[in-house]
Amino acid sequence: MHKYLMVLKQYWQNIFVYRVSFVLWRFRQFLSSLMALTIWTVIFTNQEIAFGYQQKQMISYVFLVTVLYNIISTTSLNDLTGEIYSGKLSTKLVKPINIFLALGFQDLADKLLNIGFVIVESIILFLIFKPSFVFPSLSYALIFMIWVVLATLIAFMINLLFGSIGFWSRDSWGPRFLYYMILDFTAGKLYPLDILPQVIQKAIYFTPFPYMSYVQIQLFLGRLKTDQILPITLSMVTWTIGLIFISRKIWRKGLKNYTAMGQ
Amino acid sequence: MKRLTTYFKIWRLNASNTLQEFFVNRYTHILFYLGKVIRLGMSLLFLYLIKDQIAQFSDYTPDQVIIFFLTYQFIDLLAQVVFRGVYLFRARIIRGNFDFMLLRPINPLFQALTDHPDINDTLFIIPTTILSLYIATTLDIQITIGSFLMYMLLVINAMMIATALHILVLAVGILTKDIEGLIWIYRDVMRLARFPVTVYLEPLRFALFFIIPVGLMITIPAEVLLNLTPAYSIWLTLATGVTLMGISLKIWKWSLKKYSSASS
Repeated sequence: MHKYLMVLKQYWQNIFVYRVSFVLWRFRQFLSSLMALTIWTVIFTNQEIAFGYQQKQMISYVFLVTVLYNIISTTSLNDLTGEIYSGKLSTKLVKPINIFLALGFQDLADKLLNIGFVIVESIILFLIFKPSFVFPSLSYALIFMIWVVLATLIAFMINLLFGSIGFWSRDSWGPRFLYYMILDFTAGKLYPLDILPQVIQKAIYFTPFPYMSYVQIQLFLGRLKTDQILPITLSMVTWTIGLIFISRKIWRKGLKNYTAMGQ
Repeated sequence: MKRLTTYFKIWRLNASNTLQEFFVNRYTHILFYLGKVIRLGMSLLFLYLIKDQIAQFSDYTPDQVIIFFLTYQFIDLLAQVVFRGVYLFRARIIRGNFDFMLLRPINPLFQALTDHPDINDTLFIIPTTILSLYIATTLDIQITIGSFLMYMLLVINAMMIATALHILVLAVGILTKDIEGLIWIYRDVMRLARFPVTVYLEPLRFALFFIIPVGLMITIPAEVLLNLTPAYSIWLTLATGVTLMGISLKIWKWSLKKYSSASS
């Protein structure tokens, strides 16, 4: 365990070398949240209900999804493609560590750091927009926590898959850009998905994206029916297991293809 | 005139090189293009959903809000098409490649700003401009010849402000060797102007008009086009464009004097 804690510590040290970049990154996330909350506040200026939501419900939704999305989304593996393609991965492969666990701890370090900033940002947004929500019951809170863990795993595995492109190509930004574009609109980050036309909603539910913030917040706000909980949980578990299986298979295949030269 | 022709030839050569790079990575670029199409499509869908649900968005009608978005889309894309080289400037500074730009008998600022036009966005701006014009004809808005001509003038002014902001980013890049954070902040602040920036709370609203003046770049031209009373006067907008350009050129020249090569 000690060696993985060292991975965590090392990741923080690297981030703090470029601390201005990290602070600017958080500022950008803050701006995005501020924009979403402002737009929704303006939409409700002249009316009580829009898209089947009351103003308080919508502001609470956008506020909570902002916080959660920042925790679930992963950026720590963005450089993995380059690391693999350039051969830098060798330094990790020769160490007596489980590479997946090491990458997992790297992601955990990134999340802990982001959470620290998210708390401060959320307090500011809370004071400006004053969202109001009731905390769910203990059983719902437990389901919420499980769904957050599953969503984190799904996000991690998808990013690992993008990183694995490095075994064959150095260019992962095209697919990654497309992924982030789709995720932006289908994870419910800017608006709840149930405001979209039914056809689009159905199509989105064939992807893992609504499970990466939207369903958790709907559960938190009590907008899900009890009979929806089991199917959603099963879908999330299926996506998680499926993605773990696929990413392990691709990683093994990639490792067989992997070559690196010494310097 | 001869000088202009020379610089155009240089730009054309750079564009041709970038085009060749584009074809080498064509599959990646197709995905980028698809991502942009999805982003535009979903943004427009969201605006039309708002139009369906509400009659008034702050002081504007939903149709007018669509014009603000289309103006943002055009100006942001045009700046991307022309100034993509700025995004690569940090690598040039760190590797010492900027030295080569300084050695050539061509203005280094021109090279740093324009040596890598964005082919993807060039291909994207043509259909999206046609689409924007089509959408504008379907909206319930009042545009006159006078307001359109003034809009065009303010769009040119917006491009001047965009140029000035990109020059400032380059200057900071020379001084600090860090550029990526700043240029992405600029892009994110631009995104705030997808909606009229008058809807934001103070002091953010003031900052969007006078610190990173995306409000002057997008909100004011759109308001003028729609024959609305602009949040700030047109003269102030034009004067800000000229002043910012002058200041950015001064800072660029000053930063060049501070430049020390990082090459080995």
